[in-house]
Amino acid sequence: MSETTAAAVARSPIAASPATVLDGWEVSARAATGASTLSDETPLAKVLVRAPFDGASRKALGVRFGRTEHTDVGSGEVLLVGSAPGEWLTLGAPGTAPALRTALEERLAGTGEFTSVLDLTHGRALMRLQGPAATTVLAGVCAIDLADTVTPDGTALRTSVAAVVTDVVRDDVSGVRSYLLHCERSSGQYLWDALLDAGSRSAVEVTGFRGLGSAGSAR
Amino acid sequence: MSILPTTRRRGADDATDRRLPPREGEVIDRRRTVGFTWNGTRYTGHPGDTIVSALAAAGERVFSRSYKYHRPRGLLTASYLDPGTMVQVGDEPNVRGAHRLLTPGLEVSSQNTWPSLRFDVKAVNGLAGRFLATGFYYKTFIRPERLWPAYEKVLRTFVHAGEVPPDTDRGYYDKRHAHPDVVVAGGGPAGMAAAVAAARAGASVMLVEEEHQLGGHLRWGGPGDRAALHDLRAQVAAQPGIEVLTDSVVAARYDDNWIPIVQRSLSGVDERLIKARAGALVVAPGLIERPYVFAGNDLPGVVLSTAVRRLVNLWAVQPGQRAVVLTANPEGDAAIADLEDARVEVAAVVDARRGETITAAHGRQGVRAVELGDGSRIEADLLVTAVGWTAPTSLLNQSGDNPVYDPRTARFRPDPARMPENVLAAGGIVGEGDVVQVVEHADAVGREAARRALRTAGTAVTVPDLAVADHPEIFSNGTGGFVDLSEDVSAKDIVTAAAEGYDSVELVKRYTTATMGPGQGKLETVNTVAILAEATGSTIAATGTTTWRPMYAPVTLGALAGRPREPVRYSPMHPWHERHGAVPLVAGQWIRPDHYGDPAAEVTAVRTTVGLIDVTPIGKLDLRGPDVPKLLELLYVNKWQKLGVGRVRYGVMCAEDGVVLDDGVTGRLGEQHYLMSTTSSGAAAVWEWAERWLQTARPQWQVHVTPVTTAYASVNVAGPRSRELLRRLTDLDLGAESFGYMSVRTGTVAGVADCVLWRIGFTGELSFEVHVPAAYGLHVWEQLMAAGEDLGVRPFGVEAQRILRLEKGHAIVGQDTDGLTQGFSAGVDELIKLDKPDFVGKPELVWQHGRDTHPRLVGLRTLDGTIVPPEASQILDRAGGIAGRVTSSRMSPTLGRSIGLAQLDRELAAVGTRVTVRLPDGRDVVAEVTGRVHVDPEGERQRV
Repeated sequence: MSETTAAAVARSPIAASPATVLDGWEVSARAATGASTLSDETPLAKVLVRAPFDGASRKALGVRFGRTEHTDVGSGEVLLVGSAPGEWLTLGAPGTAPALRTALEERLAGTGEFTSVLDLTHGRALMRLQGPAATTVLAGVCAIDLADTVTPDGTALRTSVAAVVTDVVRDDVSGVRSYLLHCERSSGQYLWDALLDAGSRSAVEVTGFRGLGSAGSAR
Repeated sequence: MSILPTTRRRGADDATDRRLPPREGEVIDRRRTVGFTWNGTRYTGHPGDTIVSALAAAGERVFSRSYKYHRPRGLLTASYLDPGTMVQVGDEPNVRGAHRLLTPGLEVSSQNTWPSLRFDVKAVNGLAGRFLATGFYYKTFIRPERLWPAYEKVLRTFVHAGEVPPDTDRGYYDKRHAHPDVVVAGGGPAGMAAAVAAARAGASVMLVEEEHQLGGHLRWGGPGDRAALHDLRAQVAAQPGIEVLTDSVVAARYDDNWIPIVQRSLSGVDERLIKARAGALVVAPGLIERPYVFAGNDLPGVVLSTAVRRLVNLWAVQPGQRAVVLTANPEGDAAIADLEDARVEVAAVVDARRGETITAAHGRQGVRAVELGDGSRIEADLLVTAVGWTAPTSLLNQSGDNPVYDPRTARFRPDPARMPENVLAAGGIVGEGDVVQVVEHADAVGREAARRALRTAGTAVTVPDLAVADHPEIFSNGTGGFVDLSEDVSAKDIVTAAAEGYDSVELVKRYTTATMGPGQGKLETVNTVAILAEATGSTIAATGTTTWRPMYAPVTLGALAGRPREPVRYSPMHPWHERHGAVPLVAGQWIRPDHYGDPAAEVTAVRTTVGLIDVTPIGKLDLRGPDVPKLLELLYVNKWQKLGVGRVRYGVMCAEDGVVLDDGVTGRLGEQHYLMSTTSSGAAAVWEWAERWLQTARPQWQVHVTPVTTAYASVNVAGPRSRELLRRLTDLDLGAESFGYMSVRTGTVAGVADCVLWRIGFTGELSFEVHVPAAYGLHVWEQLMAAGEDLGVRPFGVEAQRILRLEKGHAIVGQDTDGLTQGFSAGVDELIKLDKPDFVGKPELVWQHGRDTHPRLVGLRTLDGTIVPPEASQILDRAGGIAGRVTSSRMSPTLGRSIGLAQLDRELAAVGTRVTVRLPDGRDVVAEVTGRVHVDPEGERQRV
């Protein structure tokens, strides 16, 4: 290698303006003042676990399909999401994906089941819609019943949001309604724009990266 | 303080102020005025006025010309359903003037009138009316067929509708999903009571009202009604859990209470379509007053009793000066009292309950006299009719109910026994009664609706009966007149249709277009049925009604479309492409660079130096597990068991019918870890294909397939200097020996770890496909461009790639194959291993191979190398029949001539055969069959 390359900066599929760099990721420097916000959480580590639907691996992970758990699997606090049958999405702090993957592999090693652990940090977009208008905005682009009785805090489901396959994760913060929306990376900017469009009548503001810690610790 | 005059127009000589002194219950705000124009003349009204109430207060009587005969039409119902008050507002056509509220600056005009509303030359149609027989258009313009475009052009000028200027703003049409426990359709006393009861029982409720305020008929009633209205509104407001939607309509009811609701009058939103999934639906739309059919019944000044009551009590408008009233019910009697209260001289009361009737209304621009049944003639400018009610049962019909005609009440009534469990009815549609009785009934219905929606244990709520009142059957008096004022369908048209054999109400509807106007039959259906029944000697019950289908009310296309939700996908390098002038290509959902200005130069750069293309959309599947080789053996037509770690192999997939499904390369990254690539458009299908086989046919196999298409940003570095460029950014050994053709390595590129590099070549040149963790895609791309500047590196787009691959003879699945192309017709004969024990599509391919009659994929060159036959040009056999088609064709910058691929019949597929290609313009050109590879057939350029 003969060239000295510039330091690599990781970029979300969602354009950040104004931008700043945090933990090696380019993120939005905005700070919203309103109650309802949309933030780009793509820098969070995203590790996927594939394992039998309801066996020893599920017990080892401690989360069933359709539910979430803030926990620590050995790499710091993570949000463990039962995102699909036989599929778990684990969200951790930026830059922790390798450690998270190792921790998960160790935890699953003793199950005797066929499992896979993949780092999908770069393959997915993640955003958080939070505040009193979150339900109204989401109801404009998603057909799921968002009532507490049907989708309470800690619910995870995969559905169509603005015609994009999306994992919708109810992850309230300090009693404030909050949704994580997780989709395939290349559709991230489109989904972001669609949410802002749906939120244009609800005064939804863009705000900077929140991170998982602020969400989880405030619960 | 004098408050008169409060509505006036300027610039008109015959201004007549018909605004009454303030009244209890009026909905206008007299403290403020609102200016607007009507056909260019300035008027004023008050907030709360509709367009038509303001115009009526200014003395206007004619608001439109009729659909067919261009007869002057005035106010009939003073509601959303009013057929004679369609107007143009700015660039918005077909606005219901009797419903749309006045806002400052509205520019209102009549529709399709020339030179003016008052003197419309198209009214000459009325003189030709005797020739405009039933089914006139069908009978007259059917032949000669070739003249239809001319007929259409002329007929369109007569269409009674407004205009949408081409530069009209597209508007903002919103969409929302909702899951209320109970939807109540109708915000009258029954609807309000049902909503309150359901909410008190714990249900979330959507209360939907077509008018601008809750209250129904209570709004224009007497003191008792107003007191009840005040009380019910207060209960609704005080009850949590009720979402009130005014100026909204429940447009339909589908299975499982999937209910579209159209919401209007929203701030910043033209309309919103709410897709509600309700636990229970309470249908409480009240009753609609029915017009009477008689000669002159369409003249301005002929109005319904409810219209009089609305005008007087809601908008304080004097509806006329001298009235004749035909009444058959208490509402008509109440209208008489309102008229007298509004200082209208009631010249005659014709009581149908005593067998009295009217014969005709006379006048030209409006009613001037009324002829009574006894032959007497009374001068009057107003004829009020109160002859009965129509129950708007549409939502019940759509729920499976089939309301039956009840001669006692002279209307169709629902059959509760046929309603599904989650649909209930309340209010006037069920029966009559005073406000107390209606509220009591609706309260029980609301509680029962909540019980069913919430699946509350316990016994059903006992719903009291709601009495019905006898009503005389009065529909038409046989003197003529119009049945459908929206469509200009007369009573005579119905009779004529019956005489011509159209004796079914469904046929009459379609033949005459009765009930097919904007009112959708709410005013017209029962009269149509009654006249048809009389004409055919049948009964109304036996004749039945037409089918009430969704939508209940007209819905704009904008509301149905909502916001444009068409996902698009971008690669991480998209911002760079935009900044560097890439011409975008929409490829499925992907937005890709088609070229950067000069595709031929991009090709030349790849052939001579080095180029970069963003190939992120290539499908990528992560395969893990001990049984991956078995899966590959099953899905691909070639062999995979011996693929070593670090090696890459090309494969083709076929479906069970042997038709080519997809192709791509798969590399082995580790002992049990593979990365499969697919075509860009086939990524999702191949993933589903693999999952289908794993989940249904081979569940015992241990394989995890995970789509990772966009986990990697993919860059193809192609050209003779690609190795030199890439070496500047990686420590990986890129030598020909250590990293040979069809190999895969992982390593760091431009400081980014975990990159996957494939030594493959779609372009035919030495090339490396670099898959970078996607968040660093832009970084790596920019580093490659910077590092290769002195080498002359340039980006190339999809068009250059297509030329390069065509020069190399690589087929594209879906372009050089189609939905019928089996494996041996795709130019991959040597790849298909029929000696494998099994693979998907093998039986069909064995059969295709044995039969050996299939078309071949061949190379093709026109003898005149300047001619590029367009793709899909037909290739002719010697008898002039179709022998094949050109599947790909381009001008080759490398060869300086046109080249192509073609699907061709076996008999003509031998290299050297000359064939005739018929171009789309009809010219024939001669081409010669060649090998598929046009450039570097030995592959020396890519194996260096």
